[in-house]
Amino acid sequence: MMRYVLSLLLACMLWAVPVTAQDGPLRIEITEGVIEPMPFAAPDFVSDNAAGAELGRQIADVIAADLAGTGLFREIQPEAFISKITSFSSPVQFADWKAINAQALITGAVSVDDGGKVIVRFRLFDVFAGQELGDGLQLVGTQAGWRRIAHKVADQVYSRITGEAPYFDSRVVFVSETGPKDARQKRLAIMDYDGANVKYLTESSSIVLAPRFSPNGDRVLYTSYESGFPRIYLLDVGSVQRRVLESQDGTMSFAPRFGPDGQTVVYSLTRGGNTDLYRMDLTTGANTRLTSAPSIETAPSFSPDGSQIVFESDRSGVPQIYVMPAGGGEARRISFGQGRYGTPVWSPRGDLIAFTKQSKGRFHIGVMRTDGSEERLLTASFLDEGPTWAPNGRVIMFTRETQGAQGRASLYTVDITGRNPRQVPTSTGASDPAWSPLQD
Amino acid sequence: MNTGQVISGAGHLGLIAFALFGGAFQSEPLPFEVTEVTAISAEEFAALTQGESIPEAVANVDTPEPPQEGEAPALTSEADTPPERSEPEVAETPPPDDVPEPLEPAPVPQADVSDEPPVMQPPQEDSALLVPEESPRPQLRPAPRVAPEPVAEPEPDVQVDDVERQEVTPSEEPAEVVEDESEATAPEEATTEIVTEAEENDVANAAPAQSIRPRNRPTRPEPTETAEPAAPETDNSAVNDALAEALGESGTSSNDAPQGPPLTAGEKDALRVAVQNCWNVGSLSSEALRTTVVVAVEMAENGKPVTSSIQMLSASGGSGAAAKQAFEAARRAIIRCGSGGFDLPVEKYDHWRDIEMTFNPERMRIK
Repeated sequence: MMRYVLSLLLACMLWAVPVTAQDGPLRIEITEGVIEPMPFAAPDFVSDNAAGAELGRQIADVIAADLAGTGLFREIQPEAFISKITSFSSPVQFADWKAINAQALITGAVSVDDGGKVIVRFRLFDVFAGQELGDGLQLVGTQAGWRRIAHKVADQVYSRITGEAPYFDSRVVFVSETGPKDARQKRLAIMDYDGANVKYLTESSSIVLAPRFSPNGDRVLYTSYESGFPRIYLLDVGSVQRRVLESQDGTMSFAPRFGPDGQTVVYSLTRGGNTDLYRMDLTTGANTRLTSAPSIETAPSFSPDGSQIVFESDRSGVPQIYVMPAGGGEARRISFGQGRYGTPVWSPRGDLIAFTKQSKGRFHIGVMRTDGSEERLLTASFLDEGPTWAPNGRVIMFTRETQGAQGRASLYTVDITGRNPRQVPTSTGASDPAWSPLQD
Repeated sequence: MNTGQVISGAGHLGLIAFALFGGAFQSEPLPFEVTEVTAISAEEFAALTQGESIPEAVANVDTPEPPQEGEAPALTSEADTPPERSEPEVAETPPPDDVPEPLEPAPVPQADVSDEPPVMQPPQEDSALLVPEESPRPQLRPAPRVAPEPVAEPEPDVQVDDVERQEVTPSEEPAEVVEDESEATAPEEATTEIVTEAEENDVANAAPAQSIRPRNRPTRPEPTETAEPAAPETDNSAVNDALAEALGESGTSSNDAPQGPPLTAGEKDALRVAVQNCWNVGSLSSEALRTTVVVAVEMAENGKPVTSSIQMLSASGGSGAAAKQAFEAARRAIIRCGSGGFDLPVEKYDHWRDIEMTFNPERMRIK
């Protein structure tokens, strides 16, 4: 009996030894965190002359607005600053910035040389780590283009912290709208992504619809009723010269969009009451019919690699989203939810498709995987439609129109997570946005 | 005989036993009356019956004589005397009641009729108490902060801070303990998941439309062949040797491993919660949100992390750039929430001097 008791005691001791001792460092796993805007401080960029001082303040304001507009960052107001940045090269007092919970600090300097060139330098700091994030950078531009310089600085900060591709230095072409709904005048216009620097590309003598940028942003395709019927036009952004792209008698052409090579255009053509998708080679002018169904096929959009086309069709009875090879062929339906789907647009990343959905009397902007899975509605209102992707595929811009005879169309942006819906400031009504690629 | 047959046989036996002895076939007894009786002996019975004479049967019964015919009663023709009837007393006629004098009809008051429609007074607020209260479903609300625990929106005049604190204002009367003046603070409003505009106020869709298919039952591990246990040694010296060997091994490992009791699960959880409250993944790219990083940090005895010691040991699931973003977010979390010192037991410092934290954002991707 004693033997068994001793054996039991021995077993207990051998089992207990590894419990009381800890082998190596303490290990813990963190699986839950928080999602909140990161506080940052962007003091005015310092300058050694008066011309640069005003620019320094303006540039800092644009950078702060860019970052805060993403919803991923929160600006700490200058009134809360303890330290002042007086010199670009002086060491940063991290304790002062920690005290106001600034997790990122952007410092910079502006100088204007005799030739009118603007030289901007900036640094980005991780305040709590007490070190610089990436290397300092210097940008040179014109005084008229100071906003682009500011956008480029914000792009650098955004990318270094989030790891996402930038998108602030981009433009948007859209339809500017004035007048009541029953007598609305529409013009093509182009602006910075944040609503600044608006320029008009067409007159308001005829209705224009659905402009689309070329892959490098130098041309715009759009639909105009100038001839009395919808026709596709190609406009050069720099010279504002335009030409009709497709004008077969007895047909209507609309909903054009560039292919990723910039030389291919896919569009809808209505002939004899039937609407199908066609593909045009801009170099040769040759047209290829892609679909031949008795239903309406429209709103085509290329995948980023140019191998597939997503489009809208009512062949099942109600408008749904389909995907087919870029050269035509069998299409497969990818939307199966309740309601009507339309205006699908392939993300520049290639992972998602944005769309408009009408369901239960409301309109939504949503995203889904390219196989139709993981559908997620991001917005809801009386009328939301026409999504377009930011160059980095993280943000979507769309049209929102308010109800009633005095209803006004406006442009909104929303993060692909559904957070941060935000109106883009425009002086007139605005609809049909198309986001440009990032500028050079 | 396999296990199934054994279980089936045992079950059937149990069922039969229950039927027989468990009262399954018992019926209710028929209703009957109960009368109390007393058992007595023959002597007692005889004593009881001694005083009583048994009636004898009488054979000679006197026959009544028939009545004689001459003795028939004579009938009289006198009429019966009618009973006297008393005359009812005539009641005196009561004097007639006084006729009431007719009253003059009161003049009908003239109603004040106005052409203006009456003004409807709004119901008192108390009337709302009559309305049955509805149980509102929890409504999704967007909030700028997504955290593991939801936090209600703080009062508008309350400053947002990580620590909840009551407002302290200077009082006119001097108190014995003078507290520094400070503003009231409260944690920032938070929700547990991202609420999109399409989901906001959509109460009907608050309930999940579908749930995750339950996982398959894990496969039973294959039985491994184990060596036959050795026969127990009967020699006490062998037990002593094993004991000495075990103690000897622990003695050699004590050179590297810390001594004393390790951190309890609660202490580890407190550290984990403290770090996760500062781990902000909101500004991370989609790719960085797919990257798990393991970060090593050396701690000072006051519970503060040594900033220069924080380094990434490994990363998985993303590119190098994504791992860098994920590591920087993890480093910020450790430094920010450790700036005041983590609440760790000093007596167990050896156990938490070196910490490896694995930051796995998998669950944050679906928020």
